[in-house]
Amino acid sequence: MSLRSFGDRVETDVLATMRSPSPAYWIALAVSALCFVGGLGLWLYQMIAGMGVAGIRHPVGWGVYITDFVFWVGIAHSGTLISAVLFLFRARFRSSFNRSAEAMTVIAVMTAGLFPLIHLGRSWIFYWLFPYPNQRMLWVNFRSPLLWDVFAVSTYFTISAIFFYVGLVPDFATLRRRASGLRSWFYRLLSLGWSGTAAEWNHYNQLYLFMAALATPLVISVHSVVSWDFAMSIVPGWHTTIFAPYFVAGAIFSGTAMVLTLSIPMRRVMGLERYVTVDHIESIAKIMLFTSLIVTYAYVVELALAAYSGHLFEIAHFDYRLWGDYRGLFYLMILCNSLLPLTLFVRPLRRNLGYLMALSILVNVGMYLERFVIIVTALAKEFDPYSWGTYAPSLVEVGITIGSFGMFFTLFLLFTKLLPVLSITEIKERIED
Amino acid sequence: MSQRWTFDDQDAFLERLRALVDEGVPPERLRVLLPVHVHEVDEILQLRPSPLRFFTLAGAVSGLAIGFAFPILTVLDWPLITGGKPLVSIPPFVVIAFALTILLGGLASFAGFLHLSRLPAPAKIRAPEEHGNEFVIIALDAPAPRSAEHGA
Repeated sequence: MSLRSFGDRVETDVLATMRSPSPAYWIALAVSALCFVGGLGLWLYQMIAGMGVAGIRHPVGWGVYITDFVFWVGIAHSGTLISAVLFLFRARFRSSFNRSAEAMTVIAVMTAGLFPLIHLGRSWIFYWLFPYPNQRMLWVNFRSPLLWDVFAVSTYFTISAIFFYVGLVPDFATLRRRASGLRSWFYRLLSLGWSGTAAEWNHYNQLYLFMAALATPLVISVHSVVSWDFAMSIVPGWHTTIFAPYFVAGAIFSGTAMVLTLSIPMRRVMGLERYVTVDHIESIAKIMLFTSLIVTYAYVVELALAAYSGHLFEIAHFDYRLWGDYRGLFYLMILCNSLLPLTLFVRPLRRNLGYLMALSILVNVGMYLERFVIIVTALAKEFDPYSWGTYAPSLVEVGITIGSFGMFFTLFLLFTKLLPVLSITEIKERIED
Repeated sequence: MSQRWTFDDQDAFLERLRALVDEGVPPERLRVLLPVHVHEVDEILQLRPSPLRFFTLAGAVSGLAIGFAFPILTVLDWPLITGGKPLVSIPPFVVIAFALTILLGGLASFAGFLHLSRLPAPAKIRAPEEHGNEFVIIALDAPAPRSAEHGA
């Protein structure tokens, strides 16, 4: 088959996904947008009424908002893994997922970035986080892990956004040709005047390779920095050297689960079965299984480190985690993150899309619980028995959390209709397959 | 008068391009438009590796230097010991330097790409040069301008 006929077919198939939305799409968008707007409304209410409306108070000062932050940064990670790392390893199945995974990364980092601001309380002075001399010429504390977060997350967002855009440039050239009217002008502007000359491709390939090489260490560094928000403190349950690799593996684990949650219905609704095959989905399921094993290993090591430490507070903390107020969430987390993914060793289950969809949702639930358990159990019973306490999120916190899911799905649904969900150019390059 | 050939098939296109170069047509007089990147074209037209890497290197090195200089100079500007740590604490500053290395390396790479590819090109945004999924070879009469080397 010539590239022309193959390319025309790919364009027709992929662009068909951008046609007029179905009623189901509008319903999904309306529900997501409603949750999003509701979340924004609750955030506004919290700013007016004060942080008292949130459940966080002494001794648990970090609750659902920080859980949400870590969760969404984690979700972002598999996008970079699929786009950048698998590109460097020349894994061909990546082109079935990379565009939607990159979009997921950018949207998830945007969502995550809101939570430190929500948690601040006085969100309007968010710019105090940035390094500039304040009125007393005092600079930010560069030794604080919280400031590392500012640098790590803003770098991650910028690089992911550029990487996402760069991948889209040749596709914008296709879209401007296929679209008409105002939409064509929209894509013309975004394509920057790309013609596809030999020199443009030469520079483009170099850029894509370098962006992949620059983004790859971010897969490891960003969630390591997030983990150091906890590990750099002396709080039992947080102060451990295993946190960085443990968090990175957890991030990729939850991210691959989210890729499955989004891809499985997307391929069916949009009729992309030819491009996102069961083999491709199975490859993602294998990554999920592998990272599940790493996460499980981290759970065991974490417990073993405490048990062998001889450190009274560490042992007491893990005793509380296993048998204390939040034990139900802990065991549910073990079920979702460690036990159920073991079923992926069975090939027919790995290739059963309905099963994978259900499992990926459970893994996301499990990974959310993991962050909650780590954060809350450590603070609820710290050193001094006089300051022990428990925490339950308030309705405002729950509402803002639902709002964050609303934001994520609203933006993702808009992405599916405004931009091609598959990389047209990369699929054309797969003509030999 | 320039000549133009269009091809549906990659092999036929490469064959023709190779033949033109073998016939003695200088590569700088050949303008090639591609729907996807074809590595053989770089070899046939003897394209040098993109100088983009120098932009990346400059950005990354600047990021690394700024990443260390910024925390060190600000902490010395207002010496305030926190947590009993030395003022100039290199390990925590490595995190800042690392992030800025990646950030400026990425931004410089993207800026370098735009500069080298002469993008955005307002004229081509107004009237895009469309060739669909065809491979196109245009043999120019006069050598292409330097800024449009090999059809930029």
